[in-house]
Amino acid sequence: MKRSVSFELFRYAAILLALAVTLIPILWMVSMAFKPVGEWSATGADLTWWPQNPTLSNFRFIFGQSDSSLIVALDRTAMKPILSSLLSASFGTLIAMTAGTAAAYGLSRFGSGQNLPLALTQLRLFPPMAVMIPVMIMWAFLKLTDTWWGLALVYGIVTLPFAFWLMKTFFDDMPREIEEAGLVEGCSRWRVFTRITLPMMRAPLASAALFVFILNWSDYLIALLLTTREWVTVPVYMASLSSSMTGQLYGAKAALGLIAAVPPVIMGIAIQRHLVRGLTFGALKQ
Amino acid sequence: MSVATVSQTAMAGQDTTARAGRDESARLGFRLTLPAQILVLFIAVFPLLMQLYISLTDWSPLSGRNWWMAWESWNSFYNYYDLMQDNRFWGALWRTFVVMIVCVPVEFLLGLGLATLFADDFRGKRVFYSILLMPMMVVPAVAGYMFFMLFQSGGPVNDVLSTLLGTRVAIAWLSDPTLALVAVMIADIWQWTPLMFLILLAGLVGVPQDQVRAATLLGAGPWQRFVTIVIPKMKTIIIIALAIRVIENFKIFDTLYIMTGGGPGVATETISVYIYKLTTQDLIWGYVAAIALAILLVLSVVTIWAMKRMAAAREVQA
Repeated sequence: MKRSVSFELFRYAAILLALAVTLIPILWMVSMAFKPVGEWSATGADLTWWPQNPTLSNFRFIFGQSDSSLIVALDRTAMKPILSSLLSASFGTLIAMTAGTAAAYGLSRFGSGQNLPLALTQLRLFPPMAVMIPVMIMWAFLKLTDTWWGLALVYGIVTLPFAFWLMKTFFDDMPREIEEAGLVEGCSRWRVFTRITLPMMRAPLASAALFVFILNWSDYLIALLLTTREWVTVPVYMASLSSSMTGQLYGAKAALGLIAAVPPVIMGIAIQRHLVRGLTFGALKQ
Repeated sequence: MSVATVSQTAMAGQDTTARAGRDESARLGFRLTLPAQILVLFIAVFPLLMQLYISLTDWSPLSGRNWWMAWESWNSFYNYYDLMQDNRFWGALWRTFVVMIVCVPVEFLLGLGLATLFADDFRGKRVFYSILLMPMMVVPAVAGYMFFMLFQSGGPVNDVLSTLLGTRVAIAWLSDPTLALVAVMIADIWQWTPLMFLILLAGLVGVPQDQVRAATLLGAGPWQRFVTIVIPKMKTIIIIALAIRVIENFKIFDTLYIMTGGGPGVATETISVYIYKLTTQDLIWGYVAAIALAILLVLSVVTIWAMKRMAAAREVQA
């Protein structure tokens, strides 16, 4: 269908406006991350959209180099929080993907675990805030509070529904003929699953794992409740960055925010095709 | 189904082979689903029972008793009675609904508008699409910090307003009770309109084009086609998109808490923020457990309804 010129003009104008609204908050943070201290909180006519004297000092500062213009030095660097985020998000993803893929295959092929779809959907829909009291009590009892492995275990359970549903729709879509051929050849069902099905599903598995990793990496609330000092994650650490001497450490926080924001955005764009499926629990495919 | 096929192919004919296959399937199916079942028990069933128990007591982590000894401060249903009288709770619930009632429709309309613009091909579509999806991938806490910076009184939002209005604008967005709520809503709309856009576009592309063309031939205008064909065809998808955002918006915490911490006063205190403060500052966990259970009960009803909708959508697609 040919569209009129005026429609095309309207379309580009509307999209450009949307792009501007989308990008300005992100660009402001990027710009702030490269601003020296003097430009952090300038107002009015002195407010600069681009750093006048771009610098990497904010990044150096959060990794421990003291900044003469800030007087303060950090009592701990961003290194450990980044490590904590990486470890807890990765192992959380591992737990969710292992349990989720196995359960999805069990349900998809053998009809086992009929209660799981409802149970897991409820798990996903509940506000984490409303189930954290028992978790905090249990974690304190098991000595899991303020550890990356304790956090990873919660992440694994919280994102299990996403791993399960994504993999279930992938298994449901997969043609059965190849598996059946394997069975005729005399393979056991376990062997068919590990030697035929899983290798064929490498790409969907990778997409699902990235999806789950983004969710784990993005968490703030759970880490805020379950970590206190040793193993705080990047968002918790970022929120705690301010000092009584200088107030908000705008640039340093922006630098850290940038570090936190980049991986999920890149991963998200990489798995764009599967986002709809993941977010709607397979109710919709693209 | 596959068991039957296999036994036929093998031409076993006897029950024994088929039964052996079925036993093997059942056993493997059980083992494969076991880890997930254990995790669900561990995080859902057991904690909920524990929560119910604690909600009937005055237990607090400061009480010096282990949680299973909470019965020593048993208070029957007094926590639930308290909840009914708790103005701060109802205020937080009300604010949560206000945010939802503003944000979800705005996100829906903007998302739908953008989706219609992206329904057919044009130059740059893929790049624009990727960029427009970016906000939903930004870590919510970081998005909260972005908007915290934008809404500072000397920040870019006031700067843009000053330029547009020609006078010096220095609104203290985050310390004004009403404006703080507005700022929080703007951040939510910025971050989650892309989700609506993504889902609605997927639905829009799935509308059968022959029907749209037929309507065009019959003389229906674009608006008429949209209302009489496209919208009805997308009904299920629209409901799913709205259900997801309603449920997620109800949990609103990360962006909001980083921007305002629930303040000034309690002006932006939503239900999650209220529970968080009770948990970490007041430490009255028996009462928190009661609030949490009350919310879970109400949400379960919504969940089951949403589940049925999603199951129906899957049936239609299959």
